Amino acid sequence: MNIERNPELVDKLAAEYVLGTLRGGARRRFDTLQARHAVIRRAVEEWQDRLHPMAQFAPDAAPRPEVWDSISRQVGLRQAPGAGWLARLRDSLGFWRNLGMASTTLAALLVVVLLTRQFNAETPPSFVAMLADDRAQPVAVVTGNAHTHSLTVRLVAPQAVAADRSLELWAVPKQGNPHSLGLLAADGSITLALPADATPDTAPLLAVTLEPKGGSPKADGPTGPIVFKGAWVRI
Amino acid sequence: MSSTDPEKLRKLLAAVARKDGAAFRSLYEATSPKLFGFALRILNKRELAEEVLQESFVSIWNNAGGYQAGLAAPLTWMTTIVRNRAFDTLRRTDAVVEIDADTFDKDVMDALESTEPGPLDALQMSADAKALAQCFSRLEGLHRQAIALAFYHDLSHSEVAEQMKLPLGTVKTWVRRGLERLRTCLTRLERA
Repeated sequence: MNIERNPELVDKLAAEYVLGTLRGGARRRFDTLQARHAVIRRAVEEWQDRLHPMAQFAPDAAPRPEVWDSISRQVGLRQAPGAGWLARLRDSLGFWRNLGMASTTLAALLVVVLLTRQFNAETPPSFVAMLADDRAQPVAVVTGNAHTHSLTVRLVAPQAVAADRSLELWAVPKQGNPHSLGLLAADGSITLALPADATPDTAPLLAVTLEPKGGSPKADGPTGPIVFKGAWVRI
Repeated sequence: MSSTDPEKLRKLLAAVARKDGAAFRSLYEATSPKLFGFALRILNKRELAEEVLQESFVSIWNNAGGYQAGLAAPLTWMTTIVRNRAFDTLRRTDAVVEIDADTFDKDVMDALESTEPGPLDALQMSADAKALAQCFSRLEGLHRQAIALAFYHDLSHSEVAEQMKLPLGTVKTWVRRGLERLRTCLTRLERA
């Protein structure tokens, strides 16, 4: 049935979609139809314009001033203490890519060939990064698997980490704060969960920082220096 | 001019799309009390509502370029972001939110119930919201409540029925009719 040619039905479904009472499979089908048909998107926007002013029927309330502070820091209008490294890191990304692209890709491919022999052939890794230190020496290989939502970090050069410190792995998005992916073992390999927002499409860079034991005490980012980093690429 | 005048908000959003920090601050000042009030009504907890407001404004900063003037009104667009985030948080935290039937501000309720023409004008609401309130005031109280419960609390037809202790079929019919009437009423006001 081509519902996009039935304006009354489109209107009725769009209204319940915006209100939220269109649920489950019907809602998902309507999402798909919206993506395909401008006329359906338009009907949804019209109902949003009609119903969303209902939000104003709730009493106004003032958020604490800290909320704005935090927003302005997150969007880069205000420098957070320790945020400098993030800007430097992003600045260095272009440099890093131009200089290291060819060799990194080759090295990464080689590593993948070596590593995939140990993986189940049905679920080969989807993403890879070679993390290197500031002298461009490879330190760790990270492979991500989109099917199993997992990533594996394999240290190729064991690291000496003080007893009161931990190495923490971060996905660095194009904008906003890095997300922690977890703590690394000082040597050997470790498997961590791969969140949906940590794929190369959203986070083109992985970085490891040196943090107090147990990881960064701050919820919204690292506190310590970057020790290794590498471009996170789809393969 | 009201702080939520759509033309003013449209200009601010266009400036935010160009990464104008001062415009972003003005946009925040103009809209955060309304958007925060809304998030707070959904989530009932200040910390959660503040978290949602924060995430929403970061998303507004990042996506202002994608907002197309001429389609949805600016405040509608921003409300959609806040509502989606608030409902995500609601699902994620599995928070047990006390649902009360009086979802609306008391002043709004009084204005909706009033037969006098004046009270709505005194409220700090956009022209869109006043028009919607006017149309809401013409619905039967229970129809209004069914729609408000679904809108504010992310409830399905059957959850609304459970809350209101009414048969599912009745709720479905009321919601459908209520929406139709709102649409007719709003269209008439637009033309007037």
